[in-house]
Amino acid sequence: MISMRNLILLVLGLAILIALPQVVTSSFAIDIFIRILLFSFIGVAWNLMGGYAKQLSLGHAAYFGLGAYTSTILQIDFGISPWIGMVAGGVVAMLASLPIGWLCFRLRGPYFTIATIATAQALMLIFLKFRDFAWGAEGTTIPNLGSAPLMMQFESKPSYYYVVLGLLALGLLITWLIERSWMGYYLVAIGEDEDAAEAIGVNAPKMKRDIYMISAFLTALAGTFYTQYIYFIDPATAFSFSISIEAALVSIVGGIGTLWGPVIGTVLLETTSALLQSWLGSSIGGIQLTVYALILMAVILWRPTGLIGVATEAYQRYVRRHPARA
Amino acid sequence: MWETLAQAVINGLLIGGIYALVSIGVTLIFGVVKIVNFAQGEFVMIGMYISFFLANQFGIDPIVSLLISMPVLFVAGMLIQHFLIRRVLGPNDMPQIFLTFALSLLLLNLALMLFSANYRTVHTSYSDEAFHIGGLYIPVAKLIAFVVAMGLSGALWVFLHTTDLGKAMRAASQNKDVAMLMGINPNRVFAVAFGAALALAGAAGSLLMPFYSAYPFVGQVFVLMAFVAVVLGTLGNVIGALVASLMMGVAESLGIQFVGADSGLIVVFAMLLLTLAFKPTGLGGGRAR
Repeated sequence: MISMRNLILLVLGLAILIALPQVVTSSFAIDIFIRILLFSFIGVAWNLMGGYAKQLSLGHAAYFGLGAYTSTILQIDFGISPWIGMVAGGVVAMLASLPIGWLCFRLRGPYFTIATIATAQALMLIFLKFRDFAWGAEGTTIPNLGSAPLMMQFESKPSYYYVVLGLLALGLLITWLIERSWMGYYLVAIGEDEDAAEAIGVNAPKMKRDIYMISAFLTALAGTFYTQYIYFIDPATAFSFSISIEAALVSIVGGIGTLWGPVIGTVLLETTSALLQSWLGSSIGGIQLTVYALILMAVILWRPTGLIGVATEAYQRYVRRHPARA
Repeated sequence: MWETLAQAVINGLLIGGIYALVSIGVTLIFGVVKIVNFAQGEFVMIGMYISFFLANQFGIDPIVSLLISMPVLFVAGMLIQHFLIRRVLGPNDMPQIFLTFALSLLLLNLALMLFSANYRTVHTSYSDEAFHIGGLYIPVAKLIAFVVAMGLSGALWVFLHTTDLGKAMRAASQNKDVAMLMGINPNRVFAVAFGAALALAGAAGSLLMPFYSAYPFVGQVFVLMAFVAVVLGTLGNVIGALVASLMMGVAESLGIQFVGADSGLIVVFAMLLLTLAFKPTGLGGGRAR
């Protein structure tokens, strides 16, 4: 269970995060905080499957998009609140993960990754083609109702901030619970060596299917939130390959298969991206992803355990030198 | 009807030759070095830009500039293998996937920064020429590309089966440890395999230039096609990749002809998903891995 010290740290951190949008009122800054929380949450969802079970998907945009489209279709065509649509989107994503997983899990390693890319791209093409039921390539704007909390629409940015903070807390809680359960150990065993895990009695196909469903469900929630936040949806944003990339990237840079890794990775990457944008403007296309690619290469070549690994090593060195104070 | 069908098949075979160069590279790296190179498409893009600048600055014909793009990319491939890929070889998939993926991301976005997203084309004297045989239409540029592509694929096959280095590569791909015991230096073999694969991608780029536009994202089209062809043709199998690439080209072309101009990719994804559903080990059999 949680030690007293960790509990205090947790409460303190949460208090700071809740107070943050009240203290920092610049809407530019809050926008960046929301991006950080959102991508941390997507990273946490990806990390459950990609980090613990090492099923390295680059197709999580499929579930982000399904979540976004489900809630938007329910809202615009049936007037159903996105709060309900969000859960519905999660369920749709869960169900979609079954056939997609059935196909993709037939391959292992890099070819699993390629198959996931293809399924997300195929879904994007489907939504581009069927314009009668999902507005085709031009997409649609979400009707702005002003202040309508029941329809997940707020007039102030901090409200969006609290929604996505709640999502991230949910994602971290689920990860924390899974990490400590039998499922968590099974997943790590599959990630280490799938054949060996099966040999000692882990039902690997079932475990992979279950964690894929959970991961898809959470990713879909992020899709609904994002659409409500930017008041717009089209296949190119909802199924954007860059969402799949960032989900994986933040986890790997922060520390793959760790509770806080995706959060730490997102803070680094999104801060870097915001700084680049304020220094250079958006005039030079490609600079953000160039820097991301360099950071990713550096992490893989020198610190495959990510920033968490660097911090742990430093802490252990410190403890060894100053045993009394630790 | 038959003429339309025959024309679609010819178009598909001609572009399939280019797909084959990319797929053979992917499958060669997979077979010998045991990694999937996510950046293969970006090297096609680099080959295209090399030919574009040589044509633009010095008036060198894109097909002739293959003599420059291939060696440049061969050396680049050896260096990448030596300084980057070699450091992540081992049982762990994660670093291998994301190192080549990061390379792809880096090259693509560097190209975007350096060359902008504009489409670049080279117009040659034969760009608009075509043979008319019966009612069929065969563009000269695509025919040259196809013939050279098949020639290079054949040359690679001969190299793998007749030279000592080629045999060493095949031995290392079958069993690295035994190959080492026989005195084969795996690092040298891997570097040559990676270099050869990139040289093929560079050749594909140069051959495309007389009839295709260069832009930073161009490699993505080809690499997706190559990945599907490599799964379809059984991972690591050069002949399988060649045959599957030609099939993919024909399937895509039939899709464009009979389903709609923007349905080429849908046909490709459908083929991948069908392959995974019914024959995940590829048409040649063997183990899925």
